[in-house]
Amino acid sequence: MIEVRELYHSFKIGKKGKEKEVPVLKGLNFSIQKGEIVSIVGRSGSGKSTLLHILAGFLTPDRGTIRVDGTMTTSYSEAERAAFRLSTYGFIFQNFQLMPGLTAFENVELPLKLSGVDRAIRKQKVKELLTIVGLTDVQHHYPNELSGGQQQRVSIARALITDPPIIFADEPTGSLDSETEQDILLLIQSLNRTRGITFIIITHDDTVAETADRIYRMHDGELKEGGVTHAV
Amino acid sequence: MQFKDQLDFVRQHIKKNKLRVFMTILAATMGTAFLIVLASVGFGIHDTMRKEILDNRAVNEIEVYSDQMNESTVEKLKKRDHIKAVVYRQSMDLQSTISLDGFEGSQQLIITDFKEEGKVGFALKEGRLPKTSNEVVVGSHFAQNLIEPGEDPELPVTYDGELMGKQFTYQMGLYDEKESFPEETAFTIVGIAKEPAKDWIQDANIYADESIIPTLNQIYQANVEEPDGELFYGNVKMYADKLENVKTVSNALKEEGYSVYSIADQLEQIDVFFLAFKAGLVFVGTIAILIASIGIFNTMTMAVTERTREIGVMKAIGASPKLIQRLFLMESAWIGILGTVIAVILSYGISYIANMVLPMIVSAALSEEDLGGLDVTFSIIPWQLVLIASAISITVAMVSGWRPARKATKIDVIQALRQEL
Ligand SMILES: Nc1ncnc2c1ncn2[C@@H]1O[C@H](COP(=O)(O)OP(=O)(O)OP(=O)(O)O)[C@@H](O)[C@H]1O
Ligand SMILES: [Mg+2]
Repeated sequence: MIEVRELYHSFKIGKKGKEKEVPVLKGLNFSIQKGEIVSIVGRSGSGKSTLLHILAGFLTPDRGTIRVDGTMTTSYSEAERAAFRLSTYGFIFQNFQLMPGLTAFENVELPLKLSGVDRAIRKQKVKELLTIVGLTDVQHHYPNELSGGQQQRVSIARALITDPPIIFADEPTGSLDSETEQDILLLIQSLNRTRGITFIIITHDDTVAETADRIYRMHDGELKEGGVTHAV
Repeated sequence: MQFKDQLDFVRQHIKKNKLRVFMTILAATMGTAFLIVLASVGFGIHDTMRKEILDNRAVNEIEVYSDQMNESTVEKLKKRDHIKAVVYRQSMDLQSTISLDGFEGSQQLIITDFKEEGKVGFALKEGRLPKTSNEVVVGSHFAQNLIEPGEDPELPVTYDGELMGKQFTYQMGLYDEKESFPEETAFTIVGIAKEPAKDWIQDANIYADESIIPTLNQIYQANVEEPDGELFYGNVKMYADKLENVKTVSNALKEEGYSVYSIADQLEQIDVFFLAFKAGLVFVGTIAILIASIGIFNTMTMAVTERTREIGVMKAIGASPKLIQRLFLMESAWIGILGTVIAVILSYGISYIANMVLPMIVSAALSEEDLGGLDVTFSIIPWQLVLIASAISITVAMVSGWRPARKATKIDVIQALRQEL
């Protein structure tokens, strides 16, 4: 499903004229299969988020190619990448990244609006999904009227609403207590089973990593497979 | 994203910052209303002047001058296209003395072609047109200019008897000589012309047919030893069938070497002047709108900065840069449109009040009871002005929203998402 070849990226830091190149990704080669949950672990600053940003198209790599179902996304223009994200990717962030001016319902609805889906269909789909993630009671609350766990469920629902085949999650449980974390992980697993969605989860939490079918370890700018935790 | 949803989105954002948006709209409204009201004065004065000119004189009239003006030239002029009538009036550069029942006057004798005159509004109050060379029509104020001689010049006694059918004698004389020529010509009044359209114009002339010319010429030659030039000089007024044709006709005449004067020419000059004048007013008004645009620029820049994280989220989810730009442009356009709409309504109100109140103030200042003659419109807002002002105002709003909107599209997703809530 996702195939990464010879991916390099480095950041320039320091003042203009005296910049220093800091290599973060040093030639990554890996692939992710359809329908699996993959977790990427590694020490802080090892480049996990950078990799996710490149995969998602927020950042253009210095070198290397990414193919998603055969199409090379690394050669896309910004507008093409945006359209591709809308149709193919869902995102779950550590700090939820909900729109503060929109209710839970409207936040989940937003990607459908961007896709130009009709209002009636939107309402129907959002309702269904809110039931699945268990947010029907608080659907008209604004983000600041929701608990962390509830906000993360809203953000999961938002990631799911367009039925994307791939969902990226950067520290999805990083801001949650361990009980809520467990809830969210179960939700991710069940969505993976029932809908066949591929999850790419970045974490440094072992319990989170262990929910994955496969673990990749980021170290020294390279990505190594850390073994299969349990069979699909 | 469907257009309806885009509008919804913009509306939600505006609602969140009502006061700021309201102030910005207020500035845009003031700028636009200033432009419209200012330019409306130009339109008002222009209209007043045009009306004044069109009202007072015959618009289709073209005065034609030529050194060789004579019967045959006039006949040629009559044959031109788009001509309704050619009135050829001839008069003499001589002093005239009229005496009727002991009253005397010095009314001018005018030789004209009654057929042509009739085509362009020369009408009689009573009587008929002359049939012989000694029959005449007199102007409506003929009698008021007949005075009993020897009376107090401060309190003249004027003739108030019957005119129709009366006979009077006519004597010519040189201006620099006391005595008139001895020959007397007798004329019979067969008709009285209608009053001129404007009540401040007096018509005391005597209108006669051209068949009298030989008689008068004879008298002239008998009394003047070395006549310098012709006795009669002519004055030709052509009348175009339509106002639109005045220009064509007068241009053609100019090319053929005639000197031409028409109201249409004068109107054109006035139109050109006022076009420049109005453009100047619009320019000054535009400066006010440009000042308001600084407000729009500020508001939009603040809106983009405030929503950096939200824009980042939108982009992360998959909103295209184009859409982001469109949403912000729509917001500034909305400010411009609403500001313009309010400004247009406000301007009509101001214009209405100005037209009602200003004449009162002016008449109070002039301390005159009746200003019947002063028919001034101070402010007119034609739809063209509304169109121009709207175009300027909305364009300026969109242009000042352009940079902030561009800035929004350039927001880096990663940096934006890193921002604290
Ligand atoms: N915009 C940037 N400019 C310069 N250096 C950067 C930039 N973004 C990241 N880096 C550097 O790249 C390296 C990798 O950062 P990254 O955020 O990918 O780490 P991470 O693995 O996600 O860490 P964490 O687990 O703490 O989130 C770090 O050393 C960081 O300092
Ligand atoms: Mg990170």
